[in-house]
Order: sequence, then C-alpha cells, then structure tokens
Amino acid sequence: MSGRLLPDQTDLAILTALQEDLPLVSRPWEAIAERLGITETEIISRMKMLKDTGIIRDISPVLESHPLGLHAATLVALHVPEERIDEIAAIISSYAEVSHNFQRDHYYSLWFTIAAQNGEGIHNVLDEILQQTGIPESDVLNLPTIKKIKIDVRFSFLPAQFRENT
Amino acid sequence: MDPVDIQLLRELEHGLLLVPAPFEEIGKRLGLRGDEVMDRIRLLKEAGIIRKFRARIDQRKVGITANALVAWKTAGSGGNELGKQLAAFPRVSHCYERRVVPGRWEYTHYTVHHGYSKDQVMEEVRVIAEKIGCPEYTVLFSTREFKRVPNVRMRENGGGIR
Repeated sequence: MSGRLLPDQTDLAILTALQEDLPLVSRPWEAIAERLGITETEIISRMKMLKDTGIIRDISPVLESHPLGLHAATLVALHVPEERIDEIAAIISSYAEVSHNFQRDHYYSLWFTIAAQNGEGIHNVLDEILQQTGIPESDVLNLPTIKKIKIDVRFSFLPAQFRENT
Repeated sequence: MDPVDIQLLRELEHGLLLVPAPFEEIGKRLGLRGDEVMDRIRLLKEAGIIRKFRARIDQRKVGITANALVAWKTAGSGGNELGKQLAAFPRVSHCYERRVVPGRWEYTHYTVHHGYSKDQVMEEVRVIAEKIGCPEYTVLFSTREFKRVPNVRMRENGGGIR
C-alpha cells in the first residue's frame, strides 16, 4: 500500500459496496469483506487508507428531514456579478440552514439549498441573505420543493484505464 | 425517539470507527451493548428517521469531477409522469419537483448527474431526454463547490430537536 495514490479495483469494489446500506451485524466490515472475497483485516486497512486520502469522508447514517423537524426546503439561484461571487458565497455558506452551495456556469451563477422547520424559516433566511448582499428580488429564483422524488447517491466507479471510453 | 436515540444519532454522525466491531465501540460511549445499538438503529430505520447507512464519498478524489444539475420543463400536466421517468434512470442521484417562477423560470423538475467528464454527463442527459421525449432542459454544470454537507445534521440543524 506504500505510496499508492489511485484506488485499485479492490478499493473501487469496496467503495461500491459501501454505497449500499450497511449490514446491521456486529462485524459489518467482515460481512462486506466476505462478499468481496477479502479478509476483514484487509478491508479495514483499505478503508483506513481511503479515509486518510479523503476519498471516504465517513460512514454514517442518512437522516430524513421530516421526522427531525425540517419540513420545508427550497433551491435558490442568484444572479451574482463575477467579482462578488466569493464574498456572497461565503455569506450564504455561513447559514446552518444551507447545506449545498455551488457556483454553476449560468447567468444565475450561485445555486444553494435551504432547509428549515417551515416556510417562514426559509423566508427569513432568504430575506436575510438578500438584505446582507443587496441582491435585488429580480435576480433571485426561489424554487421551493414540491416533491422529493428520488435521493440515491450512488457513483459508478470506473478503473482509470476504462475512463477514456465513457 | 428518546434522549438515548438522539445521543446515538449524534455519535453516529461522527462516522463509524474502522474497527472490527464498530457498533460495540459506539455503545461504550453511550453505556449500551453493541446489540442494543443495532436494535436502536433498526428501529430508527423502521421509523423512517434513518434512511440509509452508507459511506459518504468525495467523488472528485476518484476522478468523478463533473456534476450537473439539470432543469427539465414539463409541458402541461405530465408532471407526475416526468418525475417518475427521470427518477427511474439509475445514474440520476436526485430528482425533485419544484415550484416555477412564472414567466421567468418555468422548469418543473430537477435531476443531478455525476460523471468523469462533462461530455459523459452531456451524453447521458441527451439520451435521457430522447428516451422520455422531453426536449426542453438546461444543464447547469458546477464550477465551484462552496458548501456540501448532509442536508440534516443533528448538531447544527437537527430540526425540531433544538
């Protein structure tokens, strides 16, 4: 494992397996390792390496928003002058209610999500952001969630040598 | 959900330790046995509080650098159908229906796509558009990521618990 930079086939198989719901058994890594035909010791050492390199952020539960009191959500897009992107993005990111904040290549250049206990909570956060940044309403798209149809983040990993053909 | 569950969720949020018996390890911090921890997790899943237990992966570090949000426009009343059709594609990670801004932004559905290159993602989106017969869409590639954290975080916005 010394100095290995790129994940190999076994690492990618581990990452793929870890995107599935974790088996609720006392030795979950052993259970996954068995499926992949490797030992528990090997899977743990590879997972540690994947964690050290930042490829695995953590292994944790995905929590549902509604039962935990977050009943309203929206996606907001702002038209922001290029030279103010960093400053405005920092203000937006500072809100705990904001979970995703990306720049995208479009006239509406900043896209972020807000989740709150109710519509009023969303409204307050958005109002505050607009006030702090001086962005006019006409440069804002507020796109509240009507329906969450699917959330299932699952990457299809390809070994480096096959990527050219994608 | 009792106070122990809330404690448990807070502990789990740090991520499981990479030791042979991670649930036992968590239990030690809460005064529970490993099987009690697993039972509680099972119940939290049944109650719909935990959706899934998985690795959070930084896909950019393995070369998956293209990320697109695609906005789709439904003509007329086919909204429900469009959402189902889009969600059925395995490589679509997120699919949402959202309110429009009349006259300014009339896209009704949003999907998220990931790939090794923009070309790969563009091609994937083109194929989807063709298959479902939805010609009006806009592809928004991300150029910078300022914040990306889980939607629900016990410590920060764990909702009604505050």
